[in-house]
Amino acid sequence: MWTLAFLIFLSLVLGIGAWLFFLWAVKSGQYDDPEGPKYRMLEDDEDEPKKKNGAS
Amino acid sequence: MALQTCDHCQLAFPERDAVSETIDGWEHTFCCSGCRAVFLLIRSEGLDAFYRKRTWDSPGVPVNQQKEVNAGLFAADIQQAGHDREIDILIDGIRCASCVWLNEKFLARTGGVEYARINFATHKARIRWDPDRVSLDRILKRIQAIGYVPRPYRESAHFRQQKAAARDLLVRFGTAAFFSSQLMIYSIALYAGYFQGIDPATRSTLEFIAMALTIPVILYSGMPFIKNTFIGLRHLHFTMDSLITIGSGSAFIYSVYQMVIGGTVYFDTAAMIITLILLGRYIEATAQGRAAETIERLSELCPKEARILRDAGAKDPFSRETALIPLAELKKGDCVKVLPGERIPADGRVLHGESEADESILTGESLPVFKTAGSDVIGGAINLFGTFIFEVTRTGKDTFLAAIMRSVEDAQAKKPRLQILADRIVGYFVPFILVLSGTTTAAYLLKGSPANTALMAGISVLVIACPCSLGLATPLAVLVFTTMASARGILVKSGEVIEETSRIDHVILDKTGTLTEGRPSLREVISLDRMFGKEYLCRMAASVENLSEHSIGRAITAASGGSFLPVRDFRAVPGRGVEGTIGDTAVVLGSRAFMQDNRITLHDPVTDFDKISRSYEKAGDTVIFMGWERKVRALFIITDRLRPETAATVRELLDLGQEVSLASGDNRATTEAVAAAAGVPFSAPEMSPLEKRELIRGLQEKGKKVMMIGDGINDAPALTEATVGIAMGKGTDIAMESADAVLIRNDLTLIPYVIRLAGKAYAVIKQNIFWAFFYNIVALPLAVSGVLHPIMAAGAMAASSLFVVTNSLRIRKGADT
Repeated sequence: MWTLAFLIFLSLVLGIGAWLFFLWAVKSGQYDDPEGPKYRMLEDDEDEPKKKNGAS
Repeated sequence: MALQTCDHCQLAFPERDAVSETIDGWEHTFCCSGCRAVFLLIRSEGLDAFYRKRTWDSPGVPVNQQKEVNAGLFAADIQQAGHDREIDILIDGIRCASCVWLNEKFLARTGGVEYARINFATHKARIRWDPDRVSLDRILKRIQAIGYVPRPYRESAHFRQQKAAARDLLVRFGTAAFFSSQLMIYSIALYAGYFQGIDPATRSTLEFIAMALTIPVILYSGMPFIKNTFIGLRHLHFTMDSLITIGSGSAFIYSVYQMVIGGTVYFDTAAMIITLILLGRYIEATAQGRAAETIERLSELCPKEARILRDAGAKDPFSRETALIPLAELKKGDCVKVLPGERIPADGRVLHGESEADESILTGESLPVFKTAGSDVIGGAINLFGTFIFEVTRTGKDTFLAAIMRSVEDAQAKKPRLQILADRIVGYFVPFILVLSGTTTAAYLLKGSPANTALMAGISVLVIACPCSLGLATPLAVLVFTTMASARGILVKSGEVIEETSRIDHVILDKTGTLTEGRPSLREVISLDRMFGKEYLCRMAASVENLSEHSIGRAITAASGGSFLPVRDFRAVPGRGVEGTIGDTAVVLGSRAFMQDNRITLHDPVTDFDKISRSYEKAGDTVIFMGWERKVRALFIITDRLRPETAATVRELLDLGQEVSLASGDNRATTEAVAAAAGVPFSAPEMSPLEKRELIRGLQEKGKKVMMIGDGINDAPALTEATVGIAMGKGTDIAMESADAVLIRNDLTLIPYVIRLAGKAYAVIKQNIFWAFFYNIVALPLAVSGVLHPIMAAGAMAASSLFVVTNSLRIRKGADT
């Protein structure tokens, strides 16, 4: 019985945690642009700009 | 001399304009120094990977044609974000993922910019910056420096509401989905308990948790349904919402009662009904939202400012100082200067300068109209080549444009809101199950059963009758339809289009810009001089016209293949023609009147070209004469060509059993010639915008369902009046707003495709609705007989939902044939 109660408690905590995460995601606009990320992930990030024009 | 392609904007341009630059041993060519500057800037930032990555299917806007950005227009949109400032703007010129990448990278490297993110689908940028380190003005200039145009982002109130509603739906659906999935865990444990036996204490614990999880689903996620039910109840009006409230509400109350007396519970049914319906609504809202957003972005292009002349100053009106003022402040009598490529901000009369205006979107006139002092100009038309100054005669609500927009609004207001098919059925279904439930209760009472048993039997009828997959039946089919359509380049504004399109039996096409390409091109060269071949004559004409910027001249230049002869003494006479000397020959090229001005004879008994040219003119073509030494040597027939796919499309529409007609503002000869060439059986010439609308209304009164396809503002009233209006995507904003669907690619073959696709989708919707009801109706007798089990309710729900999903996916097949 105690095991059952613990598991129920655990699943509720996890479920509500996921729900709160979802609410945060909607609020912060994670669902606003479903198109962009699939292109962004293919971009090579060159963090430092090539300096050759300025220097050479 | 050949046409070159600009390395930055990819526009083809004549070599004489080229700006070259040698970078790292590579020769680069640009159409203007503006494009070169942008190229160098992007390179110096190390972002030239952009040029390798980009995937443009048509050239961009050359940098030198862009206007300066006025940061003042953006001031009202700036938001405080702590110490930083934040703004949402639109960036014009973004056409691929690389453009997004370039802008984000470039902005991120601007000192003081904290955050820059561009929405790929909407081209909306959110920028956050530190006001102490950088000004908005500088940020906007940076965007412009790489060849993009920032534009203030204003959402219409309606659009903002729609977006807020979609987000609200997402939160409600997400909440319902999380609680329902938790609930399912306990429901499955309870189902197992029915079959294997379960300790009563554990069972009531599980039932209690299940109830606790159901309450937020019904009271929070289901709140909109409950509200609408009560609103509807006041008018005895039953909708889908009433059915959902009755179904889930009764399942919940029944379960609570059963829990108390130790029976079986239906909490999962109560929660799943709401969850599935919300899913359907959310799908519907996003599919519509995306189309609305794209159209909203396209339709913000009309001018918002006018460049007025300050009174004092130089004698020459063109060197006077100008100031940009908002359109709303423009008054009658103001003098406004219009630069090439700009839209004319209001109706008026030209005072100084000469130019040509493209009024095709307003009046349907396909060729540019010559404007000189004294000519009337229409607000909204595009000024093509010259700079001119005009006096405003009408502003605001009195303009030609406003009159047409008003008639569009009138027509929109009159259009009856089409109820979705399922709603109509529900209207009958709800009273039916209410009566059935009442009868069941009464029958049990008459049989002598105790009151609570009788009541529970009645409620169980309500529980099983609610077809939750009904909420998915329409949206899923609509989603598949809109996805398929937008993949091909058709933006559909709402699901109603499906039902209406599937019933279309008469298609009306506009001429200019719809059946035809909407711009002049060279159709034929007639040589009147045996000494010269057509090709050589065309090359001569092109060499002279190459120096002019007239649209008809460009038609000839474009057809010549790009190798030009040297021309001396070039002169252009606006509205008449051009002349220039090639070798020793003084070539004159232009209208009939221009030939007479240059004393070139128009009478030739042998070839009788005057008669030939008049016959072409009768058929709606423009004839350009070329002559030298008193004789006409060649005729150039310029025409607005049919789109290549037009004839095949018309045939396909006729094969689909549609009646096809052509409506145009042009004269009878032109219209009939085009109709004959396109194979359109009926044509209606000389139609004003309002006459087009009347034409459609007349057909509709005869019981026809009319589809209208057009592109201009002059088509807007007709597009709204038609059962289904489809606008061409390169057409005008107003046309797109009045239409039910927009063709992003100007490809007419999409029309028969969308008719077939809609037919298929509508058939699937009807099947979905039938099967959504079917499983529940089969289970109804069980409820009436009082042997309903929760497994049956869950089974009916799962079976009908699965059927609806798989059936909707079938739309993907069968439309391509």
